Amino acid sequence: MPEREVDLTRVRPYADHLGDGLVQMSFTLPVPYSLAARRAALELASAMGFEEPEVVHYEQLTPGYTYFVMYVRCAATVDFASLQEEGFDIEYLSEDEIETFAAEHVRRPIVVVGASTGSDTHSVGIDAMLNLKGYHGHHGLEGYRAFETYNLGSQVPNAALLAKAIEVGADAILVSQTVTQQNLHVQNLTELVEMVEAEGRRREVILACGGPRVTNELAKELGYDAGFSKGTYPHHLASFIVRELAARAAVPR
Amino acid sequence: MLLSELTRAAPRLALVGLAKNTGKTVTLNALLAELSAAGTPVGVTSVGRDGEQHDVIDFRIDKPRVRLEEGSLVATTDALLSASGTGHELLDRTGIGTPLGEVVIARLLSAGEVEVAGPSAAQDARAMADAMLAHGAEQALIDGAIDRRAASSPHVADGLVACTGAVLSEDVHEVVARTREAIELVRLPTLAADGPLGAAAHALALAGSEHGAAVLSADGAGAALLPARYALTAQAAEIAALLAEHRDAAAIAVSGALPESFVRDVALAARRSRREITLVVADATHVFVHERGVEHYRAQGVRLAVLAPIDLLALTVNPVAPQSHSFDSARLRDLLSEEIAGVPIFDVLHPSYRGAQPPVSRALRSRP
Ligand code: B12
Repeated sequence: MPEREVDLTRVRPYADHLGDGLVQMSFTLPVPYSLAARRAALELASAMGFEEPEVVHYEQLTPGYTYFVMYVRCAATVDFASLQEEGFDIEYLSEDEIETFAAEHVRRPIVVVGASTGSDTHSVGIDAMLNLKGYHGHHGLEGYRAFETYNLGSQVPNAALLAKAIEVGADAILVSQTVTQQNLHVQNLTELVEMVEAEGRRREVILACGGPRVTNELAKELGYDAGFSKGTYPHHLASFIVRELAARAAVPR
Repeated sequence: MLLSELTRAAPRLALVGLAKNTGKTVTLNALLAELSAAGTPVGVTSVGRDGEQHDVIDFRIDKPRVRLEEGSLVATTDALLSASGTGHELLDRTGIGTPLGEVVIARLLSAGEVEVAGPSAAQDARAMADAMLAHGAEQALIDGAIDRRAASSPHVADGLVACTGAVLSEDVHEVVARTREAIELVRLPTLAADGPLGAAAHALALAGSEHGAAVLSADGAGAALLPARYALTAQAAEIAALLAEHRDAAAIAVSGALPESFVRDVALAARRSRREITLVVADATHVFVHERGVEHYRAQGVRLAVLAPIDLLALTVNPVAPQSHSFDSARLRDLLSEEIAGVPIFDVLHPSYRGAQPPVSRALRSRP
C-alpha cells in the first residue's frame, strides 16, 4: 500500500519517500582532479537550479578531466495530469495484431520507402525500423507480411527519395535524421515535405520522421504526420501506419 | 499604411517565414490586433504550430502567444483548444489528424490565447480557410512554419506576407542578400497563358503530373513528353543529351517539384551549348534552390518562370536573432528597400509603425 496518494498535478523525482525530489546525476568537467574541481561541480549544480547538491563520488577520468556522481534535490514539479489529458499516449499494437489489423482494414501490401537523408550518414535508426533484423529483438517492417519495404540507406537526396516513393507508389515515406547541428536538418526535413506538396501528393502519402531529437511538436512544425524519437520500436511505427491508413480509407478526402 | 489595410484584399492570406524566428507570429499578432480594432471577423489556422510557449528546437527562446478576440474562428487541434481553457463553440470536426490531435474548427466565445496547429497539408489549409470564410470570417490567415512555403501557392492563398530577420545571418548584408534572393524566387516572371510557351506549358500542367515534364520549343510547338519523374532523377549527361537532341528546345516545363540538382545540371548543359533554357513550373513553391539564387542561374543561361504568380503584399522584418545578435531596425529596412523594390517593408514592433499595438511585449524578442 502506498504511504499516500501521488498528486499527479505536482510530480517531482522520487528516491526515499514521495516528493523528496532526489536526483542522481553524473557528468564530466574538463578540469584536473582536485578539491577545486569538487567545488566547481557543487557550484555548477546550484547554478542548474538544484538544491542541496552533494558529490557522492568523483574520480580522474584522464589527466585534466574529472568525472562526478552527484545527489541533488529538485524543487520544481511538473503537471503530469494535464499532459495525460492531452492525449499524446498511443496504445501500440503487437506484431501479430498489426498483421491482423492490416489484413482486415488495409487488405493490400503497405508500401513504405525510407532513408536517412541529406548529408546524414547515420543509418542505424532507419535500419532499426525497416530491416528484418530490427531493433532489440523486434522485427523491422521488412519482417512483416503486411509491409513491402524499400530502405534506400543514408545520405539520400530528397529528390531521390521522393522519386523512389512515387515509382513504387509508397503509402508512407520515412525519414531518419540524426545530426542536428546548426539546424541544417530542419531545412532538409521541410524541403522533403514541400517537394511532396509540389508533386501534389501530400494528402496521399504518410510522412513520418525519426531521430534522437525528433518530437511530435517538431514533426508538426516540419509538416510531418508523426515524429518518433529514442525508444521507438518498429511496431510503434507500424501501429501508426496501419491505423492512419485505415482512418484515411474511412474518411475519403 | 497598416499591414492589415495592405492585405485586406486577400481573403486567404498566407504568412511565410524565410526561416525560424523571423517573426511570423509577431506579424500574425499585429494583423490580429489591427483587424480586431477594425471590427473585422477573422479566422486563423497554421500549417505548423503557433502560439507555443517555447521554441521547439531551442527551448531557451520564448515565443509570442497567439491572442484571439471573442468571435474569432480557429482551425486547431481539439487537444490544444481544450488546453487553452478558452470557451468555444465547436463548428466542424474535420477528421484530419496531426501529430498533436484531430483538427477542429471552432468559434471562440471569449478572447483568449490559443495554440494554433491546423492541418499540415497546404490543400487542407486551403479547405480550412474556405470553411472559416463560410462560417463568417472576412479574412482567413494561414500561418506558415519554419521555412515552409507551400501555403503561399496561388492555389492555396490569395496573397502573401513574407517574414525575414536577423536570424538569417550575423552579417546584415548577408541577411539582405538572402532576403533579396528569396523575394526574387517569390516573384519569378509569369508566362502569359496566351503566349506560345505559356499556352504549351499550361496544356502540360492540365495534363497532370503523370507526364511530369516536357521539352518545348520557342514557338510552343513540338512538345516532347519526358519520362516520369524526370526532374527528380535525370542526371547531367541525360540532360545534355536531351538538349543536343532537341536543338530548338527553349524551355522545359515541369509539373511537380524542381530540385536544385536539376536546375544546376540544366545550367551546365545550357552553358556548354551556349543556349538559354527557361524552366517553367506551376508556381514558385515548386522551385527548390537553396545554394544559389535565381540570378546566379540566370547568368548561367537558365531562366525560371511560373504559370501562376504569388501576390506578395508585404515584407516584415525581425531585427533580432533570439539568443544571438540584433541589428538596428531602420538600417535593416533601409538596406532591404534599396535591394528589393515594390514591396512595403515593416517592422511591426518598431515605434515608427502605427498599427494597433499587438499584445506582445518587445521583451519577447529576447535581446541578447
Ligand atoms: C554510430 C554513430 C556514428 C556512425 C554512423 C554509422 C552508421 N552507419 O549509422 C559514424 C561514425 C559514421 C558517425 C558519424 C558522425 N557522427 Co555520429 N554517432 C554515432 C552514435 C555513436 C550512435 C548512433 C546510433 O546508431 N544510435 C542507435 C540508433 C538505433 O538510435 P537512433 O538513431 O536515435 O534511432 C532511434 C530513434 O531515434 C528512432 N528513429 C531514428 N530514425 C528513425 C526514423 C523513423 C522513420 C522512425 C519511425 C524512428 C526513427 O528509432 C530508433 C530506434 O529507437 C551516436 C552517439 C550515440 N550514442 O547516440 C553518434 C552521434 C549521433 N554522432 C554525432 C556526430 C556529431 C557525428 C559526426 C558529425 C561526427 C563528425 N564530426 O564527423 C558524423 C556525422 C557524419 C554525417 N554527415 O552524418 C552526434 C550528433 C550530435 C547532434 N545532435 O547533431 C552524436 C549524438 C554523438 C555526439 N554525442 O556527439 N556517427
